[in-house]
Amino acid sequence: MIGIVVVSHSRALAEAAVGLATEMVAEDKRPVIAIAAGLDTTTFGTDAMAVSEALGTADSPDGVLVLLDLGSAVLSAEMALEFVDPEMAARVRLTSAPLVEGLVAAVVTASTDASLDAVAAEAERGLVGKQDHLGVATADAAPVVEADRTVEVVVGNEHGLHARPAARLVGLVNGFDAVVTLTDLDNGKGPVDAGSLSMVATLNAQQGHRLRVGASGVAADAVLAAVEDLAAQNFGDAVVEKAAPSPGGSGLDVAIGPAVLAGAQVSLGDYVAGDNELGRLDEALATAGEQLDELRDNHGDIFAAHLALLGDRKVLDDVRASIAAGASAPAAWKQVYGELATAFEGLDDEYQRERAQDVRAVRDRVLRLLVGVTEVAPTDGILVVPELDAATAATLDATRIAGIAVRAAGTTGHGVIVARSRGIPLITGIGDVDVPPGAVVSFDARTGSFEVAPDEERVRATITEREGERAQAIADADLPATTRDGRTIDVLVNVGVVQDAVDARGADGSGLVRTEVLFGDRRTAPTVDEQVDAFRAIAQALGGKPITIRTWDIGGDKPLPFLPQDREANPFLGERGLRVFRRRPELLRDQLEAIRRTAAETPVHVMFPMVTTADEVAWALQELGPRDGLEVGIMVEVPAAALRVGSLATELDFVSIGTNDLTQYTTAADRTNAAVAPLADGLDPAVLQLIDHVVRNAGVRVAVCGDLASDPHAAVLLAALGVSELSAVGPQVPLVKAQLRQADLGRVDTAAVLAARDADQVRGLL
Amino acid sequence: MGVDSFVSWLRDVAGSLHDNSAYLTELDSAIGDADHGANMDRGFQAVVGMLDETSFDGTDELLKKAGMTLVSKVGGASGPLYGTFFLRFGTALAGADLTPEAIGKGLHAGVEGVLARGKAELGDKTMYDAWAPALEAYDAAVAGGSDLGTALTAAAEAAAKGRDATIPLVARKGRASYLGERSAGHQDPGATSTTLILESAARTLS
Repeated sequence: MIGIVVVSHSRALAEAAVGLATEMVAEDKRPVIAIAAGLDTTTFGTDAMAVSEALGTADSPDGVLVLLDLGSAVLSAEMALEFVDPEMAARVRLTSAPLVEGLVAAVVTASTDASLDAVAAEAERGLVGKQDHLGVATADAAPVVEADRTVEVVVGNEHGLHARPAARLVGLVNGFDAVVTLTDLDNGKGPVDAGSLSMVATLNAQQGHRLRVGASGVAADAVLAAVEDLAAQNFGDAVVEKAAPSPGGSGLDVAIGPAVLAGAQVSLGDYVAGDNELGRLDEALATAGEQLDELRDNHGDIFAAHLALLGDRKVLDDVRASIAAGASAPAAWKQVYGELATAFEGLDDEYQRERAQDVRAVRDRVLRLLVGVTEVAPTDGILVVPELDAATAATLDATRIAGIAVRAAGTTGHGVIVARSRGIPLITGIGDVDVPPGAVVSFDARTGSFEVAPDEERVRATITEREGERAQAIADADLPATTRDGRTIDVLVNVGVVQDAVDARGADGSGLVRTEVLFGDRRTAPTVDEQVDAFRAIAQALGGKPITIRTWDIGGDKPLPFLPQDREANPFLGERGLRVFRRRPELLRDQLEAIRRTAAETPVHVMFPMVTTADEVAWALQELGPRDGLEVGIMVEVPAAALRVGSLATELDFVSIGTNDLTQYTTAADRTNAAVAPLADGLDPAVLQLIDHVVRNAGVRVAVCGDLASDPHAAVLLAALGVSELSAVGPQVPLVKAQLRQADLGRVDTAAVLAARDADQVRGLL
Repeated sequence: MGVDSFVSWLRDVAGSLHDNSAYLTELDSAIGDADHGANMDRGFQAVVGMLDETSFDGTDELLKKAGMTLVSKVGGASGPLYGTFFLRFGTALAGADLTPEAIGKGLHAGVEGVLARGKAELGDKTMYDAWAPALEAYDAAVAGGSDLGTALTAAAEAAAKGRDATIPLVARKGRASYLGERSAGHQDPGATSTTLILESAARTLS
């Protein structure tokens, strides 16, 4: 067992701290604790000779941990190390841990025969509990573990420092002999221990946030360099995440099969606790670790996040403490991980909230091992789950499973992303509908319907029809989208990364190049040359057809790492899109230069996002300068812009309606907020009336580049309203074109649609 | 010039620090924990007690013993700092003729020890702000052919200037650093005691 030395200016303080700490541990399990404090019982001061004597008293082959108060205590202790035998000095560790909390943690941990490293680590974490309890506000006031060195890094990741990049950071940091802390300089949270995944997650660090990384310890410099390096690589998040989901699998949106229920709560009812619950826990953790190792090797980083959750030392400490207090291993595990999942659910960010399901997946994996139940992955039928964890989504046999029905809503969970990327038919948000195991169920994600005991023949007919549609649409992709009544609609593709343009089938160009996504993984602003290269590559991939480049559309939920913005109370009503550049136009000027240069080589249109007033249009045109044949437009997303589009468009060649933002601003509803998401329906007649108004009053070509244009039935309606250009996500382009070819726009009852009571009624009319 | 001169120096330092004890404590009460005068007085009175009981053959033994006494008796950060100074000074003088050059090397060794121990830099508002100009002036005087007394007088005068220059500084080390900007406007007690020690050296070592 290691020994402990307490160095303080005050004998009384040291003796009281030792009293507090030893109270925690039975007498026969206490480590040797030697005090070197005060020049005598009443005179404050430290004495290096006394410290070296105390080191001799506490010395142990396992090492000695020295806790200190301040100032001369540190100098005297360092000096004492020069007085003692160098061999002994080598096993002495001076810790920057807080004296009282650190000593309590050290004594408790040392009593378990833990190593010097482990005891020192626990002592350094001595303040975490108190900081946690008192909340963020006090964290700044109590930076007791002072970092020797700090660096600043930027979170470039699209979803912030979420589970996977956080797991990589935690894994990296724990490999160094250093205490590393993180502080989010933009939201003021922290400092937190960078070696604890749960603590890192509580930072809630979003894209564009600056983090101060502090490090103390012998490897401080090395760990900071490594963290800077990792941050420069977006914490290991590959850019490919932004690539369009490759179709693969059946890629259909309809499925039928016998229901396979999974993901039920693991029952602890039959569990009999023994006298070695800690041992059972360790065994289960080891097995879960092996399983996740293998899953990570085969299916990637999602499981690295699970592994990090499994090894989170703070959470494990809580579990072990609970077991030590008498709980059974599964009960302790379930409770602590359940609480962690709840904590994730309380975070501000939708994406972070959905990480709760990663926590529950890890919780249940270990619970199953503890209780001894195995979950066999279904091979056929439709998997019905409360929520879809990534492990399940990644390990299903995609060629055999008919589909997955998820009770929970939400479309950005790991599992949902994985299932989509594998082309597995999927529906989310089916709710609490009662599904008997084995009953035949079907769903149609296009109509949002989920049925128990459906008319099988009808569903199979739908599947055949969809397969045929899909095959035909892809075969016909390059044909123009000319309606039965002879109108040809240009159907273009939305491009976020160059690969979107490469993968696009049948697109008549790009109606939206999202420059903030194209360069969103960059840590520094791209040069004019780099922008020209990217724009040229997109145009070439689309065979030289026109591309519409939207200038930087940042703000709201889209920060750019190289253009940090102040936190706003209401970012969607704040400095977004063009508004951002009125005060600092440099980045916009560079981009317009790149657009003009690209336009000299290939047909290019430019459009400005988030325009509200004629003044803004005039300012943008002035910044653009001579047009030289460049077609110029604006996005219509703000209801004010839609209503006075005629006066905004006098100098323009086109306008493009962003239906997502126009819908949320018109309905005053955030579609990522489940409570109000149904209100934010793009087919709300009020939104359609605004689109109709824009078509009638713009006096220029009207395009639509929001989600509505990707829905084949809505696309027909938009064309009937007079929209001449639709820009859709890549995989939908052939389907939108196919639907338009079958449409007779003259037969769409636009008057009835515009006069409809609500979006549902509109759907009925389509 | 031998052990006796150094014994006289240490006794003179003890007297000077005792006389200035209240002054040093007053300086320390403005920006620290109001114990520098008492601590230094206690430490050097212990050195005097040690001198009364022990006789030394070598200067190095004398200075090292004085250093160890300070380490144990001063209590505050100046204990390990001045303790280290005298220990290193003594070690450097072992076996050397007490020429101005050798004593210069000893002073440098002592001050390097202070730096290694306290990790202070110039301008941190510490005793080093007096030591650094003092060493420079001492070296220049010796290089110009001055004798020990003249060189030490130059060092003491430079230390006094360095001490005065600590007044506007913001402390970055020690207890005073907790005061931040409020530490500006006060003379550093450590630089003051260093100056007293050098002034005493100029009086006694020549």
